[in-house]
Formats: sequence, structure tokens, C-alpha cells
Amino acid sequence: MLRRLATGLVVLWAAATAAYLALLAAPGTTVDAIVGEGADTPLIRAQIISEWHLDRPAVVQYLDYLWRAGQGDLGRSYLLQRPVSEVIGSQLRPTLTLAAVAGLLGVVLALILAITTRRPWARRVSSTAELVLVSTPSFLIGIVLLSIFSFRLGWFPVSGGQGVAALVLPAVTLALPVAALLTQVLRDGLDRALDEPFVVTARARGLGERAVLVRHAVRHALLPVITLTGWLFGVLLGGAVIIETVFGRPGLGQVTLQAVTSEDLPVVLAVVVFSAFVYVAINTLADLACLVIDPRLRRS
Amino acid sequence: MRRRFLLIATVATALLAGCSGGGGTDSAAAGSPVSGGALTWGIETEPITLNPHQYAQAKARLLTWNNFEALLTHDDKGGYLPWLANGYQVSPDGLVYTVKLRSGVSFSDGTPFDAAAVKANIDLLLSDGYAPTVAAVQLKNLKSVDIVDPSTVTYTLKQPDVLILDFLSSPQGAVVSPASLKAAKNLKAGGPELAGTGPFILDRYTPGQEIHYKKNPAYRGKPARLDEVTYRFLKESSVRVGALTSGQVQVIEGVPATDQARITGNPALTLSRGLNSGSAYSYYFNVTHAPFDDIRVRQAFRDALDVDTVLKGVYRGTATRAWSVIGPASPLYDKSLEGTYGTNPGRANATLDAAGWNARDAQGFRVKDGKRLTVRLVQSSPFVRDRRDILAQAVQAAVKQSAGIDLQVSVVDQGTATKALEDNQYEVFDNSRADTDAGAALNLLLSSSGAINRLGIQDKAIDGLLDKGQAEGDPAARAGVYRDLQQKVVAEQALIQPLYAPADQIAANKKAGGLGFEPTAGVPASAYTVWLSK
Repeated sequence: MLRRLATGLVVLWAAATAAYLALLAAPGTTVDAIVGEGADTPLIRAQIISEWHLDRPAVVQYLDYLWRAGQGDLGRSYLLQRPVSEVIGSQLRPTLTLAAVAGLLGVVLALILAITTRRPWARRVSSTAELVLVSTPSFLIGIVLLSIFSFRLGWFPVSGGQGVAALVLPAVTLALPVAALLTQVLRDGLDRALDEPFVVTARARGLGERAVLVRHAVRHALLPVITLTGWLFGVLLGGAVIIETVFGRPGLGQVTLQAVTSEDLPVVLAVVVFSAFVYVAINTLADLACLVIDPRLRRS
Repeated sequence: MRRRFLLIATVATALLAGCSGGGGTDSAAAGSPVSGGALTWGIETEPITLNPHQYAQAKARLLTWNNFEALLTHDDKGGYLPWLANGYQVSPDGLVYTVKLRSGVSFSDGTPFDAAAVKANIDLLLSDGYAPTVAAVQLKNLKSVDIVDPSTVTYTLKQPDVLILDFLSSPQGAVVSPASLKAAKNLKAGGPELAGTGPFILDRYTPGQEIHYKKNPAYRGKPARLDEVTYRFLKESSVRVGALTSGQVQVIEGVPATDQARITGNPALTLSRGLNSGSAYSYYFNVTHAPFDDIRVRQAFRDALDVDTVLKGVYRGTATRAWSVIGPASPLYDKSLEGTYGTNPGRANATLDAAGWNARDAQGFRVKDGKRLTVRLVQSSPFVRDRRDILAQAVQAAVKQSAGIDLQVSVVDQGTATKALEDNQYEVFDNSRADTDAGAALNLLLSSSGAINRLGIQDKAIDGLLDKGQAEGDPAARAGVYRDLQQKVVAEQALIQPLYAPADQIAANKKAGGLGFEPTAGVPASAYTVWLSK
């Protein structure tokens, strides 16, 4: 457990450092980024430099950042002029809610689809739909869903953020491509599991086709899906950037986009570190879940 | 310089005239004004800051005036009306502005509005690191602000500067409760913790989602008609339009050409447009190196371009062509420039031949001494709006076809764009500014020491005209100065290729009345005069 914790800390530090170096290597200085499109005079530059202590060497700024971050102080946003913890903190819940609901919906949809579309014709229809969904930009899916269910039928609001009704369309938009890909992986896993000798044994015991599928094959098919959860988190966070813009939802996605385009270093670093943290946590959970699902792994 | 003694008296009616002016959308369907109700307004841009002193986005202006007010406001003829002030006087030498303040006004946190409050705001603006842009640009000629009595302040200048009046009516000049400025936790970000004197009170801000105002019950003047107004941030234009057509919001701003048919085709909706103040969206030719150091190449570029056709292709006939660096809505605009240049490929080719660019390479581009006639335009992607990237591509195709000019357009991140400008690795710079006084924009863009002088121009005559325009108090004489200036930079020296006049659009359900554009600025006005019929 201690080892895992130490590895996690190293990953966080590496992520923060990599992001720091990337932003340092990006063209233009921090002062350029803060000046932006506005007026640009030596006096304005001097004031910006002294306000953010940008006259110190990059190494000193980096070490100072690490020192403060270690004490829980993530600094202030250059652009929004608020503490980073506040900027991110207020946007965390909406994004996590969206990602969790969409992720869950995606997995449930994938399970249902993979199990119910075993007949050749159903399989063909489902595969085509999956392919279309995986290759359609989620921006387009969002606009289409909005046009039908919000603008035309008026069932769901276009934005609102807090209510459950406002969560439906964004979550579905985010879940559809996820469900499509997971269905393909699951179906592939089911096909492979059904070829295994233990399925013949199960059938020989007189087990019905449905029971074979749900009780035995799915367990095997789930393992590759579980290892995909790290990837799933990336998709959900990346998708949130677009979904939040389309639906006018608050969230981390919009904050990240704004911070990256305006080189708002403190916010970008915080988002990267947070993402790394969630990634580590999710992978740990995924490893534990594999233990639960596959008894063979428990022995070693 | 002689200067007239000017005194503007306040008349209550003049106040109302000042805020309801500008092409309104008041339609018969909305009927006569009613009080009460809650309105939802879909807007394109979430402001970076809600502190008016830090204001930098014209798109945030309609929010600012809901809860804040400045001492003066613009009328629709380029003049000023008193607002939080009762009137102002200018000393004969143009150096001292004496402003009489309204009495009996309080900020929404209960702090009284008086001369001390006004001075506290200026002191903060001039303090180190608070608002460097305001201190370096708008207040650069301010020597001191002094309290004469609780309802009188004087602004003393280092040199005559009529733009101080523009500052006194700008969001940066808005007067914020000094007590709330002191107590604010995130001062520069602003928000509900900053108190103003406006007709509404900002009571809720949900970043990324919406901002909510409630009526200020203690407002000094005629109260606002709406009880509450919510501005929802909807960045996608098709989503804004859909939210309006389905009745989820009653008003939206920012309707691009591609979506306007969906509004005009709907009998329940109205669409209105307002031309912004300030400088037109233009290409500035970098004169510090080849090829635009040669005036013939600049003239040829403009002759090669048929701006009307390009605009029609990109904006479907909804854009207003610009002929000068100053937008056509400004009182300083020189109308005589219209139709004097451009759309003459024959002359463009002859000029380029004469300038030595008479060979062509395999791709059909002009060549001189083995070098292609290449000019580079670098656009910073966070600031590309109004499909300006598409417009650049249309211009690129047009000048290639008609004169063999190679316009290279790159849309890059902001750091790369700033670096290209700093390293002088560009030949074309694109920009429009929404300053309410076009003179303020030109000071930045054309002056030798201008903060956005991307022309690289160092011209004593231009600087002289800019200084004269900034010091001239008489509106007619001032317009004359800027006419000379526009003749010089647009007609004589061909430094600029004006393209279009930036505009704002408001689309609304006919139930909403009292909507309009702010006089002079030309951006959507605040919700003060808006009502919603039942």
C-alpha cells in the first residue's frame, strides 16, 4: 500500500513537471499571455512582472510552485484573478457528476447491447450503429440531440446545470460513443469466451443459453473492459470540454480549455495534477475490480 | 488653444433619453412597458472579470451597466450626458475638469456615493499592479483628483485631453463602493462582492453557466422594470438560436450570418443590429520591411481586393463594409473616403509591374529578385471571432487570383502570435477595437509610441494630428482633425485595408420590449429599460 502511495506521488510530480516544462517551451512568455490582445506598453509589462513575480529564474519559479503546491496552495489564476483551488473547486462537481453519469450509462448500455444483440441480424444493425457513433464528433451528436429533444420537443432544457433534466442530454451525448466502443470490446470478449471449453461444460450441464452468457461469459468479457477504464476517464474528461461548451454547462472542461488557450499556467498545472490523481485512483480501483471478477488473480 | 466654458445641466428626462437611445427593437407586440417578471438572456461570452475597473471585453459591457454606473454617459451624437454626475465644467485651458456629483445616492451595500468614493476609485486605479492598462492608457494624462466638497471633484490633467470624458463614461470609470473594494476577497475578479449604484444588483454568479441580477429596490432613479434577469452563457450560436426559438430564453445576442434566416423567418421573433464604435476591422500593413514598405505594393493589395464580393461570400450580405480605419458609426468617420479605392485588378497589376514585381513563378505568384510576393497574416486563435479566419481565406484567394499576391494566413495559439509580432515576422496585422471614442483606438494603433502600433509607422505628422485630436474640445474642429488624419493614413499613404464594421445583433421574442443598443458604443444595452409583456 505504501509503495502504491509513493508511486502515485511520483506520478503526480512527473505530471506537474511535464506540464510545467511544456508550458515553458511554448512560444511566448507568461507576460505575453497575460497581455493578450490588449494594450502593450513597457509600464504595463513591468506591472505584470512585479505582480506575479515573473522576474525570478524559471527554476526558482518552478521550485516555489512545488513548495507551495506541497502545502496545498495552488496559486492564483493569471486570467481569472481568483485562487486556483476556487476556480477548479467550483467546477469539479458538475464535471464529475456528468462524467460519472455518462460513464455509468455508457457501461450499462454497452452491457445491454452486447448481451441482447447476439443474433446475426441484430448484431449487424448494432455494429453499424456503433461504428457511426464512434466516428461521429460528440459536438455533432450534442447538436442533433439538442435540436430534437430540446428545441423541437421541449423535453429537456438546453442548459441549467443543476437540475436532473438538464443532465440528461449532455450525459447521453457523452455516453453514446463510450457505449459504442465498449459494446464492441464486450462483444468481442463474449465471442471469445463462448469458444472456451468451460462453456461447453456449462451447456453440457444443461444450462440455458442466457444463463451461460450472463453468468459465465460476461465475467470473462468484462476484464478487457475494466482495463479500459483509464482510457474511459480520458474520453470523458476530453468529451466534457466539448459537451460543456455546447450545452452551456459549468465544468472543468470549459475551465481547462480557457486556461490552455490563454496559457494560464497555474490552472493548467492544477488540472493536469488533478487528472493524474484521478487516473492513478481509477487504475488502482480497476486493479482491485479485476481481483473481484477473476478469482485466478487472487491466488498470486 | 481656446476652450469654451461648458456646463451641462441635468434634466431628468435627458437621463432617460440617454439610456433608451440607439436603434431599439421595441415592437408593437411588446405593447407598453410593464413592470415585473423575470427575463433570461442567452449571451455568447462569459466575462473574464466582473470588476468594471478591469473591463477588457466589449461583449461584457451589457452586464457592467446593470449594477454599475459611471459619472457620465455617451449620447448618440458623440457627446456626453451626466449620469452619476449632475454636470461638469472644463477650465478654459482644458486642464481642469470640475464634476458635480448627484447627492443622496448610495451604493447597494449602503455606502454613500460622494466625492470621497470617487477619489477612492481613482486612487485604486492608479495604485501599482491593480489596473495597469487603465493607468497607462486612459489615465496617462491625469495629474490628480481632488475633493472640493462632498459633491464636487476636480480632475487635473498634465496636458489637455478630451478623452478624460470618455474615461468618465467608460466601464473602467464606473464608481464602485469603496467599502466593497476594500472588503473584496477576489478584488480583480469582482462578482457579487462588489457593490455599485446601478438599477440591478448582481446577486449570483455561477461560473460557466449563468449570472443573475435582481432589481435594486433603492435605485436613485426610475426603477428597472424587470424583477430579475439571468444571463446564460451559451457559446455556440446555433444553441443560442435554438434556445430562443424554443422559448427557453427570451433574448439572445450574437447571431452570425448563418443563423439569421432562422430568426427573420419566425414571426414571433425580432432581429436588430447595431454597428460598434471604435475602429473598423482592418488589415494593417507592416511598413517596416519589404514588401509593404513600398506604397505601391500597399495600393496594389487594396486594388486587387473586391471587398464587397469577399464580404458577401463570407457574411451573406449581413456585413457593413468599412472604408476607413474609423467605423462608419463614429461621429469622427470620414465619409468622403467611400468608393475612392479598391476593386481595380487592372491597376493593381500595372502598379505591381511598375514596382518590379513583374515576374511570375510556377504557381502564378509574383516574384521579384527571386523572391515571391508573400505577405503573412498571423491570427491568434483565442481572439478569432466573426469568422475572421474564413474571411482571411477569402481575401487570400481574391488577391492571389487578381494580382498574384501570396497572402499566407496562419491561425495559431496566442503565444506564437505574440512572438511573431514581437519578432516582426508578419506583414499584415488584423484588428478592430471597440473603444467608444475612435480617437482612443487610433492613439493605440497609429501613434509612433502606440501600444498596438503594428504598422510600425513613425510619422511626425500623424502623431501631431493624434495629439491635436486628443486636445481639441470643440466637436466640429475635432472631427476636422480626424478627417485629415484618415485622409493621410487611408487615402494618401494606403497604410490600411479596412474591411468591415463590427456589429452586434440582438434577437428577441416579441414579448420583450425596451431592448436596444447603447448609444455611441453600439453594443447591446443593459437590462435597465427592458420589459417583458405577459
